Amino acid sequence: MKKSYTLFLALIFLWQGATAQEKVTISGYLTDISNGESLIGATVYITEIQGGTISNVYGFYSVTLEPGTYNIEYRYVGYETISRTVELTGNQRIDIELGEVNQQLEEVVISAEPEDANVTSIEMSTAKLDIKTIQALPAFLGEADVIKSIQLLPGVSTVGEGASGFNVRGGGVGQNLVLLDEAPVYNSSHLLGFFSVFNPDAVKDVKLYKGGIPARYGGRIASLLDIRMKEGNAKEFEATGGIGTIFSRLALEAPIIKDKASFIVAGRRSYADVLAAPFTDVLDDGAALNFYDLTAKANYNINDRNRIYLSGYFGRDNFKFDERQGFSWGNSTATLRWNHLFNDRLFSNFTVFYSDYDYNLAFGENDRDKFEWDSRIRTTSFKPDFSYFVNTNNELAFGGELLYYRFDPANAVGVSDGESTDISLDPKYGLEASIYLSNDQNIGDNLSLQYGIRGSSFTYMGPGDVFTYAQAEVPGERREVIGVETADRREPIESYFNLEPRFSFRYQVNPSASIKGSYNRMAQYIHLISNTTASNPLDVWTPSTNNIEPQLGDQFTLGYFKNFGESNDYETSAEVYYRSTENQIDYIDGADLLINEFLEGDILSGIGRAYGLELYAKKNVGRVNGWVSYTLGKTELKVDGINQGDWYNTRFDQTHNFKIALFYELNERWSFSTNFTYLSGTPTTFPTARFEQQGYVIPYNDNDERNNIRIPDYHRLDIAATLKGRKYNRKGELRKNRDSWVFSVYNLYSRRNPFSIYFTQGTDRPVAAQPISTEAQQVSIIGSFFPSVSYNFTF
Amino acid sequence: MKRLFIFLTIVSLMSCEDEIFPTLNTNDPVIVVDAWINNKPEPQTIRLTRTQDYFTDQFSPGITGATVTVTDDDDVVYTFEEQSDGDYVWEPTEDRPVFGTSWKTYRLFIEIGNTTLQSNTLMGRVPEIDSIGFRFEPEDTFLPDSYFADVWARDPVGPGDTYWIKTWKNGEYLSKPGEISLAYDAGFSAGGNVDGLIFIQPIRDSINPFDQDDNDDFLSPYDPGDSVYVEIHSLSEDSYKYLTDIQIQTDRPGGFGELFATPLSNVGTNIRINSNGGEEKAIGFFNVSAVSTAGRLLDPDNLPGERPE
Repeated sequence: MKKSYTLFLALIFLWQGATAQEKVTISGYLTDISNGESLIGATVYITEIQGGTISNVYGFYSVTLEPGTYNIEYRYVGYETISRTVELTGNQRIDIELGEVNQQLEEVVISAEPEDANVTSIEMSTAKLDIKTIQALPAFLGEADVIKSIQLLPGVSTVGEGASGFNVRGGGVGQNLVLLDEAPVYNSSHLLGFFSVFNPDAVKDVKLYKGGIPARYGGRIASLLDIRMKEGNAKEFEATGGIGTIFSRLALEAPIIKDKASFIVAGRRSYADVLAAPFTDVLDDGAALNFYDLTAKANYNINDRNRIYLSGYFGRDNFKFDERQGFSWGNSTATLRWNHLFNDRLFSNFTVFYSDYDYNLAFGENDRDKFEWDSRIRTTSFKPDFSYFVNTNNELAFGGELLYYRFDPANAVGVSDGESTDISLDPKYGLEASIYLSNDQNIGDNLSLQYGIRGSSFTYMGPGDVFTYAQAEVPGERREVIGVETADRREPIESYFNLEPRFSFRYQVNPSASIKGSYNRMAQYIHLISNTTASNPLDVWTPSTNNIEPQLGDQFTLGYFKNFGESNDYETSAEVYYRSTENQIDYIDGADLLINEFLEGDILSGIGRAYGLELYAKKNVGRVNGWVSYTLGKTELKVDGINQGDWYNTRFDQTHNFKIALFYELNERWSFSTNFTYLSGTPTTFPTARFEQQGYVIPYNDNDERNNIRIPDYHRLDIAATLKGRKYNRKGELRKNRDSWVFSVYNLYSRRNPFSIYFTQGTDRPVAAQPISTEAQQVSIIGSFFPSVSYNFTF
Repeated sequence: MKRLFIFLTIVSLMSCEDEIFPTLNTNDPVIVVDAWINNKPEPQTIRLTRTQDYFTDQFSPGITGATVTVTDDDDVVYTFEEQSDGDYVWEPTEDRPVFGTSWKTYRLFIEIGNTTLQSNTLMGRVPEIDSIGFRFEPEDTFLPDSYFADVWARDPVGPGDTYWIKTWKNGEYLSKPGEISLAYDAGFSAGGNVDGLIFIQPIRDSINPFDQDDNDDFLSPYDPGDSVYVEIHSLSEDSYKYLTDIQIQTDRPGGFGELFATPLSNVGTNIRINSNGGEEKAIGFFNVSAVSTAGRLLDPDNLPGERPE
């Protein structure tokens, strides 16, 4: 506590010192001239001081200088640079619109950062994907996908096709904070894990933080995926869409008041079931297999100092085997944000959001006999964030967040022969509050620091029953309830507080090389409960309680970044990371995780460690460009009661993770892309013996080992070709409409990549008094190549 | 429930599976106790074997020369005599035509050379089966014209009764792992709040086999003239968890269903071992059940089904 107090004083001193001088500020917004979209991460470079700043996620920048005459360059990759000579005598507002470079060949823009940002920026362990890159990558069934695309970057993986979510640096799916316009999205997957919920037509910017996470963010220990939606074209009406093999998309955007207010509405729906309906009677009695989502956003530029944004997402997946029975799940989020400039140097954003994830299951063919169950997590939050642009060497960020959670693990009703029974579990409530303060500081020409602290707290509160559990006689066995107390409404049952220091540095070795390092501590107060092979939509979130402590993670990273070529034609980087974690959750054997009032008695707690090396090389220019990424990693847990208390690999431990993404621009109309993925097989548990019990053959593992074997390696090659429509019509005029065909093949050489291996006595009914044979089966979720065609348009 | 089962089976076809032959680590054989006895008026068998390597199609080797006894609360000793390779049998007598009484605790004692094995269990209670019903449902998407059977019984009041429902069709035991049917009170689990009710529908319907013909088309669970015979066995709470674990470990969904499968882990045991300095290990389970039974022939002229009061 004392440390942070000193730090705070130091920051205040800096601030005071800076404001005491007679300085002037230039500030403003950077936008795209064609559609008014704000430009995130564009550079404002001041020649005289050989430095400057970068626009924030709302496109705002602010630089404070001595009065004088300056030459200012506004730069953004793929856009024409604009230079201004400004005589600064007083504070000045300069909003700039940048236009795209009119290149003969529209090369794929891999990064939206300035050309050398990977070397010069303080950020490390981050990955940014431009939406154009995402759209150019070959995709499953031809559908561009945010989550699948980031899996081509170092340190990011998944346990297999069909698995929901993604894993970052050996972290679990539930240890990633996924934000869509500041609101958390609890399940990022459609159709189990085949598609992600983010509609690429409505996404502007995707940034993944694997380490060096700024103090502004907290709540998950592995990573932060920050997704920003488009604001909507503020200049003119625009429609974008696509007709694909599995679903179709349409996005409409238009100004409400030109250059002042605009909106975007984007929707998608799968239609495999619609197309199949005439040919099968499977769907006649209400069976369904579909998903849809709707993304919408509007913004209003009230005046120079105030702007508001309202954004929302609603999506749903349906698996129904008739009108009454089946399951479905979906997220909905709503975010209201207000950007306010207190003055030219103090930028603020106030966010209020609501996020809701729920799923439900229903069985039973009539009202006399049925079972209905739904589960959900709801979050409401208020989040003020401030940036104070002290001077060109210091940028202060501070703010806080208040999150209110309501967990409904199960609202369930069973009706048996007309007798109805409510088997619901009580809701659980939690309040997470945090404040943070951090500073980005340049020291001399070569050293930048980012340091800060986040104080976070969590209160698990009533109403509800509070259980006390006995110690297990043998670690790893179910713990029995020994006490129950009742907590009143809003009564704090258990509280936790954590200080989360964050620190990053960048040392510029020479103009094209730098060394970066970071340390961050993260606390996570809500937990994703899942003990299946892969994460799936039925996983339940649960708060920290008197029996479940918050997860803590400490991560250290060190990296070397080097660019080659005249205009940073090649980027390379090497990073190492080490993360140690506490209070990691695992489960007793045979744990009952769904609709179990005494869930906490089935949960085990242990420690974890993950470490690895990430190598990355990217070619930015030329007709052939792309990147190669390789990760060598390890992630383990040590939990009393599992694997005899020794370290064991987590289910998503992958030793080698190698990816290539390549793009080739043949001519104005044809372009090609390919990606190749090679992953070490994920760990699994094999038996050492079998035994019989009442006629059933049961696998047995002599040492109670966990994840003692790996399934075979995974590799896959995908290709895609894009044919753009003609630019000019027959009369030689530039067409207003743009369109393209995308042909792609997923899993080109039809590899049956293993998802899991299971051991079984077979599916035939054993014959009495005959011995039973046993076998091992390897499951491939996708066992052949998948060709697809889609048509995309913009007008 | 049946539709869920069939739906999952069909969805599973979208993915693919290959039988593989991995090399597995092996271990020294471990003692296995298979001691599930009940109060049916017939000889009761406890089987002692050892584990064997996973890939085999042989019976587990029996353990011979052991002494096996069960003692009740009143210190009555039931001796299980070795009959054949690993099978130890207690024969009913005129004095004791059946084994066991509900709410009594039974202690198992086994001696194999220097090694002793022990276990305790409480014999639970079981409701009478009220009736077995049949109903006809016309062809639908998944199934042809079909006859379904259901078993009706009411869980006695008082939480924590657990059952194993075993079914025979035309004298053949429905022995697939997927056909294991367990009940906790009238429902599926302790948190279910289903004490004292009639078994809920999925449990009533759990006595139907879903077999496929050579073309992988589903068959009607029962046909006119078929017989169904049901036994409800009481379980101890530990045995219920044990059988649940066995269900998880043996009833593998395959295909897409593996996305929802839990990883392989050992099922528990209630056998305690004292190998007197040796390194023997023992697994397996001891349970004493009360049993109720009912059977019925499917006569299509006598349908649709009746409901019990």
